[in-house]
Amino acid sequence: MTAVEVPRLSESDLIAGLKAGDEDAAHEFFDRYAARIRRFIAHSLGASAADADDVLQETFIALAEALPFFRGDSSLFTFACAIAHRKVLSLIRTNARRARLMRSAPIADQSISTDPRADREFNRALADLKPEHREVLLLKYVEEIGVTEIAQILRLGEHAVESRLARARKALRRSLKE
Amino acid sequence: MDTERTELEFAARLKSAIETPRAVDDHAVREAFTARLKRVAARPDVVPIEFDGRKIDARRGGTLLGAAMKNGIRLMHVCGARTLCGTCRVVVESGEDNLTPMRATEKFSLRWHLSMSPRTRLACQARVNGPVEAESVFPLCGDLPNR
Repeated sequence: MTAVEVPRLSESDLIAGLKAGDEDAAHEFFDRYAARIRRFIAHSLGASAADADDVLQETFIALAEALPFFRGDSSLFTFACAIAHRKVLSLIRTNARRARLMRSAPIADQSISTDPRADREFNRALADLKPEHREVLLLKYVEEIGVTEIAQILRLGEHAVESRLARARKALRRSLKE
Repeated sequence: MDTERTELEFAARLKSAIETPRAVDDHAVREAFTARLKRVAARPDVVPIEFDGRKIDARRGGTLLGAAMKNGIRLMHVCGARTLCGTCRVVVESGEDNLTPMRATEKFSLRWHLSMSPRTRLACQARVNGPVEAESVFPLCGDLPNR
């Protein structure tokens, strides 16, 4: 279904390898998660592919610095998403600041999907959502991450995640009806 | 039951609308990640620091407060390391570049306690990356037995 390689190492072996700086583990981690992390970034950002690639690069560098402190409280993917989320927020803030400075509209090209098979109308509605709504929907329904882990990624309480999800669903439905 | 079914339908529609992740072919990012990971793993985990004239070992990435407490230096932290009280304030004598940069909450707390200076840090927030010399601003609570 995905272009991601079949995992060779278990998650615990992968974590141990990454902490030890093992090259094979690093490659396996990249091959296993980079595509999903990139998709998460692209949808959270709602911006051009070039920005998503830059954020992906920054995320992986930050991940390499942060991995020795990974305590295993969550899955590796959740940990990576939490870092990616902060990188995305940082870029959005920088772009907003730049837009304010330039006295122009925020830099946000809302083109997301390039897959011709994807439901165009649904994608348009998704692109119209606020980035935080799109992000939470993607984590919950596409990545199938539980509310507790989403709360860890977004640094929110579980109730806050649930209400954000409800608002996001409502916004998407409203957008689909228009 | 209906809500559950609606939610399942919603999830299915969202899943089918979003494209499957495409493999990232950027070898530069892959290699940069691998190289950085190797460099990080090669760094020593334990960093020597000097606290109130005592030489102690701190875990790289751990807070100054954590290192002090682990080594029996009973630094006050009335708020429970939540940046509120400012009682874990320390003056960094040397190696301030080896501490993580100040975040907004720490800045706010130091400003609130009228203690903003380039060398003052909250021990509960400053994380160690290399050798540091620091002195506590408040008196210690007493001696803690080593755990």
